[in-house]
Amino acid sequence: MKSFDLLTIFALLSLPIVIGCGTSVDSTATAIHATAVSIDGSKFLLTEEPEGAVGVIAAREEAEDGKPLVMVGRIGGSTNPWIEGRAAFTLLDASMSVVAEGEDSGEGELCTGDCCATERLACTAMVKVVDAEGKLVSVDSRQLLGVKEADMVVVEGRAQKDESGNFVMLANRVFIRR
Amino acid sequence: MLGQRLLPWDYGVRNLFRRPSRSVLTLGGLTIVVLLVLVVVGFIRGLEKSLAATGNPNVVLIYALSSAADIENSSIPGRTPALLAASVDGVRRQHGVEYVSPELYLGTRITTANMTEPGMGLVRGVTTTAPLVRGQVQIVEGAWPQTGEVMVGRLAHSKLGASKEDLSIGQQVTFDGHTWTISGHFTAAGSAFESEIWAPLAELQTTLKRQDLSLVAVSMDSPERVADVDLFCRERIDLELKAVSESIYYASLQKHYKPVRMLGWVVVALVAGSGIFAGLNTMYGAVVGRVRELATLQALGFRRRAILLTLVQEATLLACAGALFACIVGLWLVDGAAVRFTMGAFMLKVDSVGISVACGVAALLGVVGALPPAVKAMRLPVVEAIKSI
Repeated sequence: MKSFDLLTIFALLSLPIVIGCGTSVDSTATAIHATAVSIDGSKFLLTEEPEGAVGVIAAREEAEDGKPLVMVGRIGGSTNPWIEGRAAFTLLDASMSVVAEGEDSGEGELCTGDCCATERLACTAMVKVVDAEGKLVSVDSRQLLGVKEADMVVVEGRAQKDESGNFVMLANRVFIRR
Repeated sequence: MLGQRLLPWDYGVRNLFRRPSRSVLTLGGLTIVVLLVLVVVGFIRGLEKSLAATGNPNVVLIYALSSAADIENSSIPGRTPALLAASVDGVRRQHGVEYVSPELYLGTRITTANMTEPGMGLVRGVTTTAPLVRGQVQIVEGAWPQTGEVMVGRLAHSKLGASKEDLSIGQQVTFDGHTWTISGHFTAAGSAFESEIWAPLAELQTTLKRQDLSLVAVSMDSPERVADVDLFCRERIDLELKAVSESIYYASLQKHYKPVRMLGWVVVALVAGSGIFAGLNTMYGAVVGRVRELATLQALGFRRRAILLTLVQEATLLACAGALFACIVGLWLVDGAAVRFTMGAFMLKVDSVGISVACGVAALLGVVGALPPAVKAMRLPVVEAIKSI
């Protein structure tokens, strides 16, 4: 009579557990699609803090379209303050702070949810880092400038404002307060 | 060395046929357990596949900032598609046609000819650019809807709770006081679109007395270009728009359904656990009735370990046969069965993962279920065991 090594049989029976269990790795939502950094980020960075910086709320009210502006604020103000793969980010007025979505927000506080969307617009501004030709730099600002969320930065550039209340800061240089 | 000490392989196999009724009952029990595991895994996999297949990384969804990502509640101006196409670089174009799909999306009560009560269905008002952006959509029967017509996804009947025949071509559906004739059927690679009804956008807007849109879906040249739409929406705060990559949008829905999927895996563990207990019970009965036989084998010179392995072999054979039957039944009856959920409907999926889990559970049932009773029987002294009735 034939006899078999049962350990071999068990090994064969366990094969289905191993085969086909591979999980595909999804591209994550936060993946940075930026191309490799080929632009020298240091030329966009200031070594000394420029004078005369105004807060985001004041800049939104007082700045004139096309005029030079120095603005100070904290990177943040939304769930994702970054534009993936572009040198652009949201700046929050330094007097404001952000609490988690759904939490009660008091004076000077905003939550990251859509419930605070309107209030958030008044105290945040989009900052676009542009090159000498005025074009947006196509490198993620975290890679280009080495900044991270909640960093206090001072940006120097020009204001872009229209009659509909849209306000964008076209920054030529950025100073990071460490 | 080990092989010489073991009992012959066919000894265990023949033992199964010596007690056919017990073997058949055990096989039936194991098949049901494995089939239950297969159904639950099929549910989890089907839900995951439906949401994963819907998102395209090149496509960006633009909807109202105030809608809190609920597209049904979104309302954006009708001029948004033209504004986007004119303002954002990188929108995909071919033969002068921009891949921009304005859409009106709503959940509404829909009645078919044979339904007594209306069912909740999903309606999407679309233009002919919709299939350009939603590349997975394919008309499999009939034609694109003209005036007074709609096109239905292959799972729309499940979402409505209607029969498949109710939504066959030429049949009529009624919603929002208007009756529409079904012009065609479409598939969408298992995505959530398959549970929807597509109507011509302009006619749907007229029916609903709306001029706005729910969303605009834009296909970009590359996934990197999605950032430009995001930037546009964040710059133009007066438009109150929000842009989200379609793949990220549906990935966030996956997170929303994570508790359901986790619950599914808990059910798999519970079913497997109860199956092991049922197997233990059956195997205790089977082994207790064979104490004399097992003791005789020991008296003949077979080692306890060899006898134990034979008992495990018998149980594993039964469990694997059960897995085989369960997989055949699963592929035949479960695979492709439609299930309704809030986002629409999806199909249960008996795929390689489901079959692997089912086979794994079966192997576990066989090995773990047989070991304790076998060990218990082996502990009896040979002389005492031979005397036992």
